[in-house]
Amino acid sequence: MEQILANGVYLGSQYAMIALGLTLIFALMNVLNFAHGQMYVIGGFVTYTFYGQWGVPFVLALFMSCVTLAILGALIERFLFAPVIKGSSREESTMLLAAGIAFFLDAVILLVFGEKQRGVPKIVDGVFNYDFRLIMPYDRILICVLAILSIVAFIGLMQYTKTGRALRALAQDRTAAQLMGVNVDRYSMIGFALGAMLAGLVGGLLVTITGVNLGMGGPTSIKAFMMVMIGGAGVISGAIWGGIILGFMEAIGLALLYQYGDITYLLIFVSLMIFLAIRPQGLMGKPWG
Amino acid sequence: MQRRTLMKAALTAVALTSFQATSALAENTVLKIGFVGVTSGPAAAWGISNQRSMEARAAWINETGGYTIGGTTYDIEIVSFDDQKDPKRAIAGMEKMAQEGIHYVVGPNVDDGAAAVRPVAESNGIMYFPYAFPKSLYQAPASNAVLGMVANYQSGPSIYKYLMEEKGVKTVAFIAANESDPLSQRDGGVEAAEALGLEVVSANVTYQVDTTDFTPVLTPVMRAQPDLLVLSGVSPANAPQLIRSARELGFQGVISTETAQDAGVLAEGAGDLANGFISVGGASTPELASPMMNEFVQRYTDMFGEYNDESNTKVYALEYILETLKADPAAITDVDAFKAAMDTFEAPNPYMNGDAKLRYVGMTSFGQRRQVAVPLVVNVYQDGAFETLFVAEVD
Amino acid sequence: MFNVSAKQLTGVGVFLFAIFVGVPLIIGATGRWDFYFTLTSVALLSIASAGVWLTFYIGRINIGQGAFALIGAYVSAILVVKAGWSFWISLPAAGFFAALVAILIGIPILRLRGVYFAMITLVLTQVVTLTALALPITNGAKGMSSIPLPSGVSLFGIPILPDFAGMENTKLAFYYTACILMIVTYAALYRLVNSRLGHLCRSMQQNEELASSIGVNIAYIRIVIFAISSFFGGIGGAMFGSIAQSVYPSSFQVVDSVNFMLNCFLGGLGYVFGPMLGTLVLYFGWDLLFEFGKYQMLIYSTVLILIIRFLPNGLLSLRIGKGGDK
Repeated sequence: MEQILANGVYLGSQYAMIALGLTLIFALMNVLNFAHGQMYVIGGFVTYTFYGQWGVPFVLALFMSCVTLAILGALIERFLFAPVIKGSSREESTMLLAAGIAFFLDAVILLVFGEKQRGVPKIVDGVFNYDFRLIMPYDRILICVLAILSIVAFIGLMQYTKTGRALRALAQDRTAAQLMGVNVDRYSMIGFALGAMLAGLVGGLLVTITGVNLGMGGPTSIKAFMMVMIGGAGVISGAIWGGIILGFMEAIGLALLYQYGDITYLLIFVSLMIFLAIRPQGLMGKPWG
Repeated sequence: MQRRTLMKAALTAVALTSFQATSALAENTVLKIGFVGVTSGPAAAWGISNQRSMEARAAWINETGGYTIGGTTYDIEIVSFDDQKDPKRAIAGMEKMAQEGIHYVVGPNVDDGAAAVRPVAESNGIMYFPYAFPKSLYQAPASNAVLGMVANYQSGPSIYKYLMEEKGVKTVAFIAANESDPLSQRDGGVEAAEALGLEVVSANVTYQVDTTDFTPVLTPVMRAQPDLLVLSGVSPANAPQLIRSARELGFQGVISTETAQDAGVLAEGAGDLANGFISVGGASTPELASPMMNEFVQRYTDMFGEYNDESNTKVYALEYILETLKADPAAITDVDAFKAAMDTFEAPNPYMNGDAKLRYVGMTSFGQRRQVAVPLVVNVYQDGAFETLFVAEVD
Repeated sequence: MFNVSAKQLTGVGVFLFAIFVGVPLIIGATGRWDFYFTLTSVALLSIASAGVWLTFYIGRINIGQGAFALIGAYVSAILVVKAGWSFWISLPAAGFFAALVAILIGIPILRLRGVYFAMITLVLTQVVTLTALALPITNGAKGMSSIPLPSGVSLFGIPILPDFAGMENTKLAFYYTACILMIVTYAALYRLVNSRLGHLCRSMQQNEELASSIGVNIAYIRIVIFAISSFFGGIGGAMFGSIAQSVYPSSFQVVDSVNFMLNCFLGGLGYVFGPMLGTLVLYFGWDLLFEFGKYQMLIYSTVLILIIRFLPNGLLSLRIGKGGDK
């Protein structure tokens, strides 16, 4: 039982971080960013290159991941999403753009970083073992703590800074925010950059545990979508809850249903569908998107 | 309108680059060999190691003057098609090969693709060398597919037997990704283990292909405390993480798989925790690798910057095609001649020390010779490199 | 009803001539026989995409068409292999079964809108793939292979459809079959959009509450549209299974669902023939870029991004310089 809870907390915290960036972008611009997973992978590869290849201190490598992704995110918003949203008669069209960017980033990752699975040396050695009832390697505990700290920092940023307030206003009502004197274009860009940066940060953090490979992008995006939906689209607290719930669902589901073998995941997905059908707005979301 | 001009400019640019792509050809006659497999997206690693092995070998042949078949010297050109691991694309790829007049194709990499291309290959007279294990591909009435490696139902039993005799393994657990290929391989593995008298303590734990953290997946398996943990059909990306999670959960037994792995990936992803991990490889361990194998590895590395140990098993298909064509030059355009030659074909294995032979096998498993005889080299990972555990033969 | 102008009639005539006579002539002249399969795929995938387009028409983002295509492929394969049915009967059966599933699933989920509907359909694709892996009747992970080719059909001794297994070259036969199916699908789609039902759909797309308040039975229309949409998916999938002569759980997956949706976006959501053009460009484009080897994906995605950047309303929006026709 202790093990299941610990697995849940660990999975939940990392999932929540992935979902945060996605939901932020969704809240601000109504864009379902298919390329989120690819951004996460790039974050992982940047940290891998700096920390694993060139021996730069881990924290600095992590910082480089954040910077790279923030710049990438800002450029993508400024030159691609913003004009497409302006010119499109139905805002769903941005999904095609997002998918195109996902393909593009996949191609770039393959050409630049290669097709192999990559990993970095462990940042801390050793395993915490409480009587074989609770086993958790130290590096996982560290990453889990870092993830939770980043989430707290992000919430702080959104609650107490001018940028955060502007972003929240923008997410709530774009037109009203504009009338109140918020520079919508500028803050959309900042918001997108921030969302991309979160993807990069979590990619950099997790490369120490799970490693990184080209193929992680697409599935990560889809997992992030699910978390966002569980919690409620476009709501920050929803993304956090969604991540934690999916984390626990996997940890508990796997522990309880493993004897059903192949249908474990089928049951998880079916229950997810039923949940979404009953409560489409998720736990925290506004109904009807 | 500005929009129109931009579109025109873009179209012109595309047209121009496509002209440049047509590169110059050498003086020798060109012999095209195809590759249809996955070289982009999540499973890119499988196809890329395959494609690069072929390209490295072809470049080597061409550099040293070409390949002589029946008195004509050919330059080898590899035509590759990326099927994105989609059976629908794989069919299109096979059609493309037929269009190019190619009769010998390596790939596809997965079960569904290999099954989907069968009608096209058979109607167009193409022999193809998939890396997929379903027996129906190779048993009559199917006749155009040749298994390009050792199947798990062939390597599994000899590994389990070795471990039972040498390490006293009595109980075994299987874990597989929730996908066609690994699940089929797991079922084959369970059958083989039970036939040998091993006790299968856990076989129904699966994980989603997109899993990145295996601790929750492995927790229930570890509770069964098996002597041996088999990672059925594990992809090279997942192997190090599974090993790491199992060891961190305190697993003391043996971990093995029946697919080829890359030592570099294991070293980066699991470090010393991967020591003792058993996998199937080709002939590139120092004891077995012939000078030619070493040169191949060197050339591959020079060409692509980094070697992939998975290529040890993937270097063979092209060699088999060329050697068989050499044995019967008529087969260059006539697949039936190739099939006839397969029954008697034999040539020395250039990649392995000793007197190993290249020949077609598969009578036991498929009832006809539809498998290349790749040496079944069982490796064990130790401190960043593979060591040979034992070598067996497939018949 | 059918208010076709002479110009539209000519357009249709040219189009029909192009695909039934023009394409075979060009392929015959250039010797690019491989294009038959690619174009057959385009025709079949655009049938499934037409279904997705139809759900867009009632304002739903559908990322679940892969699920219905897979259902269709399995139903047809099972009927042909295990029950010994003729493929030609199993084809509509596959469509109807997919439609039936759509009705059962649609009742609870069609209440959802926007991204919520999109997500639940995405999950649906996963569920169907996993179900195919787990069920005994689908052969689980081993898939169904060696499915026989469509057999001939004759009525009172007069052959109506030829036996595919006895043909020298099935490519052309499959090409014509797929094209006929595609034309029937798009004719039906065009008819539907320009009918009273289509009119009601448009009013729903803009505002469901308003449509409901003026007495439109929106729940009923949603179900009907979703069922028709999934019928198309089932047909497309079943036909594909018969060409590949095999069906695996991975034959249609999330990627395919997403691609069906992208086809609609690329062609243009405002145009009936958008999904057809979108499929042609997306699918055929990939094949044409084959020469670029490892840069194929890079160029493909760059072109895709450029198209959407400069034509955010789809390729067909190029046409309307002279004023909107919707």
